[in-house]
Amino acid sequence: MRKMLFDPDQIIIRMYEVSKHYGDSDALVNITFDVHRNAFFFISGPSGAGKSTLMKLLYLGEHMSGGYAIVDGMNLSRIKRSQVPMLRRRLGIIFQDYRLIPGRSVFDNIGLVLEVAGVRSRKVIRDRVMNVLERVGLADRHDAFPPTLSGGEQQRVAVARAMVGKPSIILADEPTASLDPEAAEMIFDLLVSAHAEGATIVITTHDRYLLSKGCTGIVYLKDGRCVNPYGDRQ
Amino acid sequence: MKDAIRRGFADFLNYRYLHGICVATIALSVFVISAFGLFLLNAGDLMDSWKRGMRIIAYLAPGAGEDARVQIMNEIRTYPGVAEVEYVSGQEALEWLRNEIGRQSALLDGIVDNPLPDAVEVSLSGDIDGTAAIAALASQIEVLPGVADVEYARQWLERFDGIYNLFRLTSMVLIGLIVAAIMMIVANTIRLILYSRIEEIKITRIIGADDAFIKYPLYFEGGMLGFAGGLAGLMMLYAAFFITVPQLSSAGMMVFFQVRFLPWGLVLLILLVSMTVGWIGCYLSIRRFLKF
Repeated sequence: MRKMLFDPDQIIIRMYEVSKHYGDSDALVNITFDVHRNAFFFISGPSGAGKSTLMKLLYLGEHMSGGYAIVDGMNLSRIKRSQVPMLRRRLGIIFQDYRLIPGRSVFDNIGLVLEVAGVRSRKVIRDRVMNVLERVGLADRHDAFPPTLSGGEQQRVAVARAMVGKPSIILADEPTASLDPEAAEMIFDLLVSAHAEGATIVITTHDRYLLSKGCTGIVYLKDGRCVNPYGDRQ
Repeated sequence: MKDAIRRGFADFLNYRYLHGICVATIALSVFVISAFGLFLLNAGDLMDSWKRGMRIIAYLAPGAGEDARVQIMNEIRTYPGVAEVEYVSGQEALEWLRNEIGRQSALLDGIVDNPLPDAVEVSLSGDIDGTAAIAALASQIEVLPGVADVEYARQWLERFDGIYNLFRLTSMVLIGLIVAAIMMIVANTIRLILYSRIEEIKITRIIGADDAFIKYPLYFEGGMLGFAGGLAGLMMLYAAFFITVPQLSSAGMMVFFQVRFLPWGLVLLILLVSMTVGWIGCYLSIRRFLKF
């Protein structure tokens, strides 16, 4: 078994022989790859390949069955339950189904990230939320509730929520899958701008159009296995 | 903590409909229990007022002179629970009887020798506690030299006391069962609220919230639900009291005593208990939701 050299200043995500089983069924088998800091990284593959499962392992929505993973300096195979919130505060997560809280306004959905992170000043929260809402073009809808927004608008709110905490990594699980091409383009541009500001972007997608936009690294999954290990070309 | 209270209060208002259902459930429960309490309280007052109005009659032995009577009366005045001692001569008793029976008083005209003995009427004070104490006082008077017999509404009092005690015991058991049932209902209602917010809790977890961030506002909400429900239940009871009491009064049912509402101390205790019930309901329900 070959151990990889690890430089936390360079490599922000390391997955090493990571496996995930559900009973007798293998969802992921020996997944190994690195993602460099400030990479724009794709995880691709057909439906059912294990992309979303892999994403869940990265934010500890699921626990891995074997191997080890390091995300922004935190070893996920040894992490304590009390440290999980700290890991998640370093991440911005975007889902295909937006995952906004329907009973809270757009402003509150985004502001919640800052409250969770311990920001107490209402003025700071207001300034930062309005700033990020302006970036995604939804400042005038800050009082709206998610169910009253279109799919594209909801995903822009989700992107704003992922960006507002200035995370080191943004994980986007099929962020454009439910959107029309125009809205998808807008979401992709927002992720590019977050990348330009220094965030590491990890996107799962099977959308060839998105893949054609270019990236600094990519890993293909098929039947839960990694087709090209060490896929980061940075 | 201040922040948790602010978020708890905001959520309390934000989910008005669900919280309204829970508050209504608690309010009805508090109403039922407090109504029991109010009834028991006033039944106790009624019992006390009847005891206060009770008299023990000590019949003097034939031939007991004035000295003996004065001695008996002075002795009885020293006993605890005695409010007043009054002498009623056989002649006064006969006159009273004649007045009471009115037209039939002619029946008494044929009586040559007054059959009614001289007596001492003993009024009881409010601080005499229970049927047993009254019976003990009566026995104490009965053995005094010069007292032939003692009479009081013993059977009636014992029967009423027995019924009251049975009712009080039954009510206590019922209140206990209702409180247990309410705890379960409240815990399940809060659980339903949490189920409806499960997605919100999951999302909040995913963006990095720790246990404290999620549970403290919910604990506060639980307490708020209990307080609001308790307050609403007591207000309902007061409204019912306000409407019913004048009708009881006009029907002449309040001759012996004044019906009163729950004392402030008990009102505060009910509010405190309902807040605690809300909090416990939340505490029991929340643990499973922190697994996400």
